[in-house]
Amino acid sequence: MSAIPLVSISRLTKHFGGLTAVQDLTFDLHPGEILALIGPNGAGKTTTFNLVAGVFAPGEGSIALGGERIDGLPVHAIAARGLMRTFQHNMPFAGMSLTDNILVGCHTRCSDSLFDILIGRRRVRRRETAARLRAAELIKFVGLQDRIDDDVSALSFGEGRLLELARALAGEPRVILLDEPAAGLTQPEMTRLGAIIRDIAARGVAVLLIEHDMHFLLPLAHRVVVLNFGRKIAEGTPEAIVRDRQVIEAYLGEAVGDLAMRPASA
Amino acid sequence: MRLLRDALIWFAAIAAASALAFWLGGYATDVYRKMLIWVALALSYNFLFGIAGQVAFSHFAFAGVGAYAIVIFAHQLGLPFGLAFILALALSAALAFVVALPSTRLEGFYLALATLAFSQLVLVVISEGGDLTGGTGGIANYRLPHVFDVTISGPWYTVVLVLLVASTLWMLRRLDRSAFGRACRAIRDNAVAAAAMGIDVRRIKVLAFTLTSTLAGLAGIAYAYIDNVINPPVFGLENIFLLLFMIIVGGAGSHIGAIIGAVFLYLAPFVLEPIVGHGFMVVFGVLVVLTILFQPSGLAGLVNRWPARRAT
Amino acid sequence: MSDLLELVVSATASGSIYALVALAYLLILRPTSIINFAVGEWAATGAFVGVAAQTTLAWPALDGPYWLAVIAVLVCLGALGWLVEALTVRPLIARGANITSPILALLGVLVIFRESLTMLFGADPLPSPPPFGFKRVAFGLFAGVPQQFLIITVTFVLFAAVWLFFERTVWGRAFEAVALNRRAAALMGINLRRVTTFAFVSGAMVAGLAGLLMSPLTSAHYMMGLPLAIQGFTALVIGGVGRVEGALLGGLVLAFVEQLGARYLPIPSGLTLGFPFVLLILFLFLRPSGLMPPREAR
Repeated sequence: MSAIPLVSISRLTKHFGGLTAVQDLTFDLHPGEILALIGPNGAGKTTTFNLVAGVFAPGEGSIALGGERIDGLPVHAIAARGLMRTFQHNMPFAGMSLTDNILVGCHTRCSDSLFDILIGRRRVRRRETAARLRAAELIKFVGLQDRIDDDVSALSFGEGRLLELARALAGEPRVILLDEPAAGLTQPEMTRLGAIIRDIAARGVAVLLIEHDMHFLLPLAHRVVVLNFGRKIAEGTPEAIVRDRQVIEAYLGEAVGDLAMRPASA
Repeated sequence: MRLLRDALIWFAAIAAASALAFWLGGYATDVYRKMLIWVALALSYNFLFGIAGQVAFSHFAFAGVGAYAIVIFAHQLGLPFGLAFILALALSAALAFVVALPSTRLEGFYLALATLAFSQLVLVVISEGGDLTGGTGGIANYRLPHVFDVTISGPWYTVVLVLLVASTLWMLRRLDRSAFGRACRAIRDNAVAAAAMGIDVRRIKVLAFTLTSTLAGLAGIAYAYIDNVINPPVFGLENIFLLLFMIIVGGAGSHIGAIIGAVFLYLAPFVLEPIVGHGFMVVFGVLVVLTILFQPSGLAGLVNRWPARRAT
Repeated sequence: MSDLLELVVSATASGSIYALVALAYLLILRPTSIINFAVGEWAATGAFVGVAAQTTLAWPALDGPYWLAVIAVLVCLGALGWLVEALTVRPLIARGANITSPILALLGVLVIFRESLTMLFGADPLPSPPPFGFKRVAFGLFAGVPQQFLIITVTFVLFAAVWLFFERTVWGRAFEAVALNRRAAALMGINLRRVTTFAFVSGAMVAGLAGLLMSPLTSAHYMMGLPLAIQGFTALVIGGVGRVEGALLGGLVLAFVEQLGARYLPIPSGLTLGFPFVLLILFLFLRPSGLMPPREAR
């Protein structure tokens, strides 16, 4: 694990009206690391994700990617700098083929001018060929090669998840954000997903994920950041986290049902 | 090898469509020429509506801008034809860009209404333009001038229209199969996910609108020399509905669908009119509703389905 | 001065018609998110049904009262609205189709209505008998034909009723709940399908009423639908799609700008035709929430 952080989040704060969704949040993410963000509903996990991905601009604090400030940049500009994400609910491009869905992920790697496309520049053709090779590879990597000719709306929920993952990977990201990747998956699908995520991290990609399923998460994550009411209440290895009293009280204890009563903050 | 085969298919199609121009005559030529304009407009409108997912009602307005601009520049103001042509095209493109910048921020059908208002304004301006635009009567009695001492007339002008359709199709197909086309379709299907994949949604939307509207302007320029007369009603709302219906019935998002839809709906009245009179528009309305309800991929979807069935 | 006051009456009457068409849009748009461009044709249909009821159905002999024609229009348009909803919108919503699908299908419906009107009633304008004659009447300083005052009265009463419906009744509350959040409303046990049907039926009735009311001033004509559709939508955008009162305000603003501009601005009359379009574009680009922004969700 590298000592220089790839993503640095520093003193991040976001209010929605009178509600504080994220308060004074600071953590780093290193290349090749799998970092999990956990916490009860409304703790600010999804808000943090949206801040990092550029959906909202933070009220205070900063986010840096590879030393460059990215807070306040639009979503597509952050993605183009190598930060890709998946969504909590699958969002395939329903009118496009499976391969084209993944090729969309390559967009930042092959965005040529219309003129270059029209005159058929060699660079354009070379990039297109490379992108298609990469898409084919990724389809195999996530194991969707048998569904290549099928309508993407015909994919199962789990297959849709894998498609989203392959699509995000197609952009050759340095950081990948996974929003509850295991939710709704069957046990065998979860096992496969865990292996794929480990594989991604092993290639040096930093993985930041939100997850509720502790059985999936604890063996997978290198480090865990726990949020409650928008604040970081603990950070450490999974082993340390499960022993942390504050965490047990806030989240892992029996009181989970009560926590769901708190106002959901986006 | 595939390249050669593709080139041969293009050549054969252009040759066949051109040959038809020499074989037809009189009224049939006029019908054929206007059909070619419809096909050219349908192709670019299909890219805008079917591929980029923008329901815009300004396509005929831009055709009108192109047509009026070429006639005003070349004949009312007497500029050299080459210069007039470039100016007319540039004006279409510039106006399209100016309309696209604010319009593409609007969601869904609000874009349709903003562009509808724009095209009505264009109509008001050309109807009230006095001597420059000829008012509600339009402009007539001008002729396609010599370009490099060559006079294009008769069936050769029809060949020009065939080449217009062919080059429009070639361009749009090429763009559709590139990262640009995929970005357009991705935005149509899910703009939020498209942005997360690094697509600059606004930029792609503006590009798609400007490009296709400029192509409409080009088709308008070509239209101006079919009958050597232009007048406002051609560029009004009636035709934009028909164009939209062509795309829906043919199959939105498919180039071949746009061609089939345009040819089918353009020629249908010639068959239907003797039977149901002016009621053919009712038939079109019913056809559109039925297509949306039961065959969303349109006629192109029917065509595509057949070989797929055979293969499995 | 009397010129200006006369213009006030005529602009208020036209604005009321725009407001009614805007209300027809709003009733459908709020709970379903569907912009139904066919409301203009429904207004035209209302005008023709009104004329047909008063002239062809042995009416002159019976000397039937005007309110029977009103009922004929409401019943016919309600039935047509229901039919259109059941045949085109409902299956598309059930299938979970993209929201553009029903909007485009309704454009098909628009053409079907307009061309059917042409075939049934011919392409020439049909004069529509006004219930209170053409004799000028004056209320204090304000003078106009009786039809103008009828339009204004009916519109204001109807808007008051609709406002009360949304504010004070359970059904109105259900409508609002669906408008704010379809999924949450469904979870609360509101029958979405019934609300959608009700939206189309009531929208068609209001549109038909607008056409009926306006026809004595303009005649019933098959080309009246599309301009009304555009003016009604412009009124809606000016007022803001979130509030019933907005539709009324937007209609009046549009009509006053049109008529004051045409009368007092030193530009060719043809160019004044462009006013609604300029207004529509300005509001869409600069103030998309309209003059009356929606209330905060409660």
